[in-house]
Amino acid sequence: MMKTTQWLVPVTVAALMSAGAAQAKTELHLQRFFGACEAEYGTNTDVSAAEGECGIMTSLINQFDAEHPDIEVKVTTVEWPGYDQLTAQMASRTPPDLVTMHNSVISDYQSRRLILPLDDLLEDAGVSPDEFTSTARAGVTRDGEVFGLPMDTWTMLYHINLDLMAEADLLDADGNPMLPGSPEEMLEMARQFKEKTGKPYLIQILSNETAAYTRLFYTYMFQQEEDFFGNGEAISLQNDAARNIVHHFKTIYDEGLTTKNMDYPATVSAFSSGEGGILMNGNWLLGAYNVESQKPDSELYNAYIAYPYPQLYANDDLYVDGHSWVMPNKKRNKDELAATAAFFKFMAENDYEWSRTGHLPSVEAVLDNPDFQALPYRSDLVSVTTRGKGLPAGVKRQFAIQDIMGEELASAITGVKSVDDALADAEARVNDLLSNL
Amino acid sequence: MSTAQIKRTDWSGFLFILPYLVIFITMIVIPLFWGINLSFQKADLFGPGEFVGFENYARLFNNKIFLQTVGNTFYFVLLTVPVLVVIGLGLALALNKEAPLQNVLRGIFFSSTILSVTVVTLIWRIIFIPNDGLMANIFTQFGWEPIAFLSDPDWSLISVAIATIWWCLGLPMMLFVAALQQIPKDLYEAASIDGANKMQSFLFITLPSLYKTIVLVTIIQIVMQFQLFGQALLMTQGGPNNTSRSIVMFIYDAGFRRWDIGSAAAASQILFLLILIAAMAQFIVTRKKGEQI
Repeated sequence: MMKTTQWLVPVTVAALMSAGAAQAKTELHLQRFFGACEAEYGTNTDVSAAEGECGIMTSLINQFDAEHPDIEVKVTTVEWPGYDQLTAQMASRTPPDLVTMHNSVISDYQSRRLILPLDDLLEDAGVSPDEFTSTARAGVTRDGEVFGLPMDTWTMLYHINLDLMAEADLLDADGNPMLPGSPEEMLEMARQFKEKTGKPYLIQILSNETAAYTRLFYTYMFQQEEDFFGNGEAISLQNDAARNIVHHFKTIYDEGLTTKNMDYPATVSAFSSGEGGILMNGNWLLGAYNVESQKPDSELYNAYIAYPYPQLYANDDLYVDGHSWVMPNKKRNKDELAATAAFFKFMAENDYEWSRTGHLPSVEAVLDNPDFQALPYRSDLVSVTTRGKGLPAGVKRQFAIQDIMGEELASAITGVKSVDDALADAEARVNDLLSNL
Repeated sequence: MSTAQIKRTDWSGFLFILPYLVIFITMIVIPLFWGINLSFQKADLFGPGEFVGFENYARLFNNKIFLQTVGNTFYFVLLTVPVLVVIGLGLALALNKEAPLQNVLRGIFFSSTILSVTVVTLIWRIIFIPNDGLMANIFTQFGWEPIAFLSDPDWSLISVAIATIWWCLGLPMMLFVAALQQIPKDLYEAASIDGANKMQSFLFITLPSLYKTIVLVTIIQIVMQFQLFGQALLMTQGGPNNTSRSIVMFIYDAGFRRWDIGSAAAASQILFLLILIAAMAQFIVTRKKGEQI
C-alpha cells in the first residue's frame, strides 16, 4: 500500500502540471496611452457603445480578449506619451510585448534596433501593408521595412464656432464658414471677426505647451515648399519662409486677434464657452465637440464644424502624424508571435471603430465604408490621408525637436525674443541636438 | 583594559553601521563614480559609450540653455531659501507655546509638507491660471489687468517659488519649534530680572541659541531647492522661453528625452558641485561667525 502511494504522488503532480500547461494562456502585455477609463469601460466588450479614445481603445482590447480565450491580455496604461517610461523599460530589458507609438517617434527606436520590423508577422496575420493609406504606410515604413501597425492619421484642425462666424459675416451663401486663402486674407478676416464680435478670431495654446505652434509651423513650411529638414540631419530655419510664418502669427498676437496666456485645457473650455471663433487643435476633439454641438444649452449647439488648416501658401500640404502599435525587440515563442499576429489582425479589422474617435483611418477600405462616411465632418477631412506628410523619416528625436521649436516660436510670437533671434536659436539648438545623437 | 579588547569593541561598533554602509556604498558611492565616468562618454541608454574626455562639459558651458538653467536655479534658491528660513522661524516663534490653538496651527502649517508635488502644483495652478484662476478673478474684481503668473517670463519662476515656499514651510518651522523648546527657560527669567525687553531677549538669547538650527535649516533648504524639478515641470514646463527651467529639468530632458546620457551625467556632476560648494560655503561662513559668537 505504501509503495502504491509513493509512486502515485509524482505521477499526480506531473499530471496536474501538464494539465495546467495545456490550459495556460499566452500572455500579451500591451502598453498604451489614450488615458484610463476602467470605471466606465473596464468590462465593456461592445465597442460600438463606446465613445472617445480611451473608451474605444479599452473596449477594443476587451473584445479581443473575450474573442481569444487562449490569450490573456494585460494592459499597462501610461501617462501620455509614455516614452520616458518605455525608454527606461527598454534600457532595463523589460519592455512590453506591444506598445502604442507616434509614427514620428519610430525612427528613434528603429535606428537602435529597439523595435522589430513587422513585415513577416503582418503576412502571417493576413494584413498587407498595401491595405493602409499612403500616409499611414509612409508613417511606419523605415528603410523599406514596416515597423508598426498603423492605427490612424491625425492632423490639426480649425474647430469653428458657426454662430460667431455668422455674427462676423464670415459665412458663405451655403452657411459654410469662409476660410482664408492667404496670410493677408486671414488677417482681414481676423480683424473683421474681432470688430464684429468683440472676441478673438483664434483660440490658441500659448502657455505650458509646445506642440501646437510647432505643428502649425511645419504645415506652413511644407506649404511654402521649404525643404527645411534636407537630409534629416540638420534643420534650416533662417529663411524667408520661416520668417513669413512667425511674423504672420506674431501680428495676430500683437493685434489681439488670438487668445493669450491660455494652456491646453483653458483653450478647450474657452472654445466650448464661445470665447473665440476658431480653436486650433487636433482631430481628437472632433467627437467631443460634436456631442457638445447637440446639446441645446451649449454655445456650440448646431454651430460646430471642423476643417483641416486652410491653405495659406503655394500648396495644400498638411503636417500629420499617426499612432501605431509597435513590437519591442525581445524574445518571443511561437505562441506569443501568433497572439501578436492575431492582435494585429483584429486591430486592422476594427479600424473603423477607432476612426470614430476623430482620428482618420489607416486602413484605406474604411474610407469607402458607408458608416465612416456617415460620421460627421469626415467628408471634409479624408483628403488628409493622402495630402498629409510628416518630417523626413530619418529625423530622430522629433518630440525633443518639437519642444525646442515650440519654445522658440512662442518666444518670438509673444515678443520675448526677436523673430530672427528665435529662429537662429531654434536652428542652433535643434542642430546641436541632431549632431550629438 | 587590554589593547586587544579595545580593538574588538571598535569592530563590534562598526557592525552596527554596516547595513547602512552597504546601502550607502551600493546606492550612492558607486552610482556617483559611475555618473562621473559616464560624464566623460558619449553614450545613450542602450549600449557602451565612447570616451570623449571633457567634451560633454565643454558643450554644456557653450550651451545657452544650460547656462540659463544654472542662473534660474540660483535665482530660485535665492527666492526660496531666505524666505523659508525667516518665515519658518517667525512661525515657530509665534507657535512655540503648549496651547491647543498653537498645536492645531502647527499641524495646519505642517500639513502642506505631506502633500505630493502633483497635488501642490494642482492647487497653485488653480490659483495662478489665467482667465479662471483665483488670482485672475481677484484682479478682475478690483478692475486690474490680471498677471499671467505662469506664462510671463518675469513671473513664472516667482510663481513656482511661491508654491514651493507654501509646500516646504512645514519642515523649517518644526525644526525651529524643536530648537526653541531646547532653550532653558531660566535664561529668559534671568534676562527679565535684569530688565531685558522681548527684543533684547530675542536678539541675545533666542537667536544665538538657534544658531546651529538656522545653519542646519539653511543647508537643508539649499540642497533641496537646488534640486527644483516637479513643481516647475508641472506648473510651467520650464517656460516661457526657459525662464523657469531648472538644472534638474535640463538633466531629465537631456537624459530621457534626448537619450544624451553623457551630457546629462556631466550636468549632474556640475549640479553636485554647485550644491556642495553652496552648502559648504554656508557652513564655513556660519561656523566662523559662530566661533566669534
